[in-house]
Amino acid sequence: MRIAAGQSLYEKLNILSDAAKYDVACTSSGTDRRGSGQGIGNCIAPGICHSFSADGRCISLLKILFTNECVFDCKYCINRASNDVERAAFTPDEVCTLTMEFYRRNYIEGLFLSSGVLRNPAYTMELLTATLYKLRTEHHFEGYIHVKVIPGAPQELVSRIGFLADRVSINLELPTAESLRLLAPHKTRRRILSPMRQVQTLRSENKQELVQYRSAPRFVPAGQSTQMIIGATPENDYQILSVAESLYQKFELKRVFYSAFVQVTEDPLLPALPGGPPLLREHRLYQADWLLRFYQFQADELLSEQHPNFNVFLDPKCDWALSHLEQFPVEVGSADYRTLLRVPGIGPRSAQRIVRARRMGRLDYETLRKMGVVLKRAVYFITCNGRQMYPLRMDEDFILRNLLGSGDHGRPAETVTYRQLSLFDDLQPERVLQAL
Amino acid sequence: MVTVFECEDTLDGIFTAVYDAWASRLGHSAVRLQVRGADTMQLFAVYRSVVADGSKAERVARTIQNRMGGETFEKICQAAMAKDADKADAIYRVLVLGLSRGVSERDAKQVIWQLQDPNVCHVFELSRKVGHEAHRYMGFVRFRELENGVLFSEISSEHHVLSLIGDHFANRFPQENFLIWNRGCGDCLVHRADGVWFIVLDPPSELGKAMQLSEKEEEMQRLWKGFCQSISIRERENRALQRQMLPYRFQKWMTEGLVS
Repeated sequence: MRIAAGQSLYEKLNILSDAAKYDVACTSSGTDRRGSGQGIGNCIAPGICHSFSADGRCISLLKILFTNECVFDCKYCINRASNDVERAAFTPDEVCTLTMEFYRRNYIEGLFLSSGVLRNPAYTMELLTATLYKLRTEHHFEGYIHVKVIPGAPQELVSRIGFLADRVSINLELPTAESLRLLAPHKTRRRILSPMRQVQTLRSENKQELVQYRSAPRFVPAGQSTQMIIGATPENDYQILSVAESLYQKFELKRVFYSAFVQVTEDPLLPALPGGPPLLREHRLYQADWLLRFYQFQADELLSEQHPNFNVFLDPKCDWALSHLEQFPVEVGSADYRTLLRVPGIGPRSAQRIVRARRMGRLDYETLRKMGVVLKRAVYFITCNGRQMYPLRMDEDFILRNLLGSGDHGRPAETVTYRQLSLFDDLQPERVLQAL
Repeated sequence: MVTVFECEDTLDGIFTAVYDAWASRLGHSAVRLQVRGADTMQLFAVYRSVVADGSKAERVARTIQNRMGGETFEKICQAAMAKDADKADAIYRVLVLGLSRGVSERDAKQVIWQLQDPNVCHVFELSRKVGHEAHRYMGFVRFRELENGVLFSEISSEHHVLSLIGDHFANRFPQENFLIWNRGCGDCLVHRADGVWFIVLDPPSELGKAMQLSEKEEEMQRLWKGFCQSISIRERENRALQRQMLPYRFQKWMTEGLVS
């Protein structure tokens, strides 16, 4: 372990933000809290992005590790005990100074504090709690705080830190218990799920309390989230999505994040990814995750044992619609909200606008376009006043060809009459996936 | 012959014009509303200059809130902040739909969703654009600390967003003295540590000159720029996505935008 003596704050920030960047969650959403006027800060429910880094990801929070020293030896992690990297540690005061000064200048929406495991989980958690306590009580910071719970941390510390943070997260890391055993020998499924369950229970108790006493302190008001690494282990999309679904249903998580595996350490147990991190796969999982949370889909509808991975070429919603053509076209003038949501090119906002506008009068395609319906995709799946926008065939091959040949905004090409290569039958998606 | 009511480009100005046009009893089809300087003049039209009047504007505002609801009122106010030549007239037409005699209370509150109507659609769209820009500036405003402890920021927005973000920043930094100078619209938001905030319409052009930064300001900027670089994952680099989310027109005014 290398610890350089006398590191400056700049060097520490450099090392400890670099070490934290593989954590995906940078959202500042879920809490609506006006400032009290006595301190500094507030929160708004949709969250605020303050900047975007060169990889296009949002910077909302000051995302840092308290320390990147770690006694755990998780194979995928850059901070693993056996990895030779420069180590550093903040003091609670340094974290407070950075947070307050950055926040005042409106650089950030708040703090995201995680940490390597220093000595043991309890000791580390104690340090994190002390830091947040200082920030909230001495510096009167009322902005957003997201804190990581270290697997294996004692219960009383989890319940204490929940009153200081807006969101807590415990990383699931890998979708199955076997993978976890293989790659993260110091973590077990039980040590991850039991604090998750504890936070869930305490939150629901706190909700009861808040009904009785409105000014009672709030426990994890923005809910909890977790993260899974994609592509380090052999699980398929169906397994991953099913795990996410059960986390939403059984643990009431606010978000599940997916992190395309970035190879930062060498280990025989890790896959070699010459093509770089599986970003497209991660993207498809996020799209599907949206379908679960906002579009009332279920994992079973999107994937199955026979069809366990997402189509690389089509988004999951188009993919679903194409294999359920019997449910289309949908008449926008009369279909209910839930049915509208299932049409490719219509989202929650445009569906809501359609439902409200059609009470006031008839709709037409121009109005739909202005409402935000993406006609390029929706046109194959809807009728308006009983008519399609153009005469189109309800034919899987035809629609697929046109959806893939996007970029042309005019009429779909009707001239091609021979049967083109089908992506589903002629190229198995799994093989294509591997080839990518 | 159309009578054009020309008003100043403020919420009060537009609402006063609405009041005057309605009270003129010329008939809705015989009047047009226009903000000053927005458009070329029309032939065969009579121009009336409207002087903004706080009490008339207040009455219009109250009527909208009562009859058409808070949601509609908010959308109309946002649309009035847009940089758009037709906004005043579009707002007037929406109000005609909602406030005319015979419109039921229930329908009046739904008018803003009648997106089939081109004027409603236009107001809705403007409100969305302005709200979106205001939300972005909640994140993209960058303060630098001056010698005297005042936080100073420069932005250049397309629409008049200052009145929409004022409450947010005042609530966020209640004990700070801060300025947000919007070079795009030529106005400036001023917040005093005692909680008062207001907008200065024509700030002196020497604002910002001869300002000394505080002692630790440079170091904080260095720390922040360093953070913005080290937080990015090299294997995932995607400059096009970054530009899409954070266009140059914003980056230009941001602390970290000046680095890369």
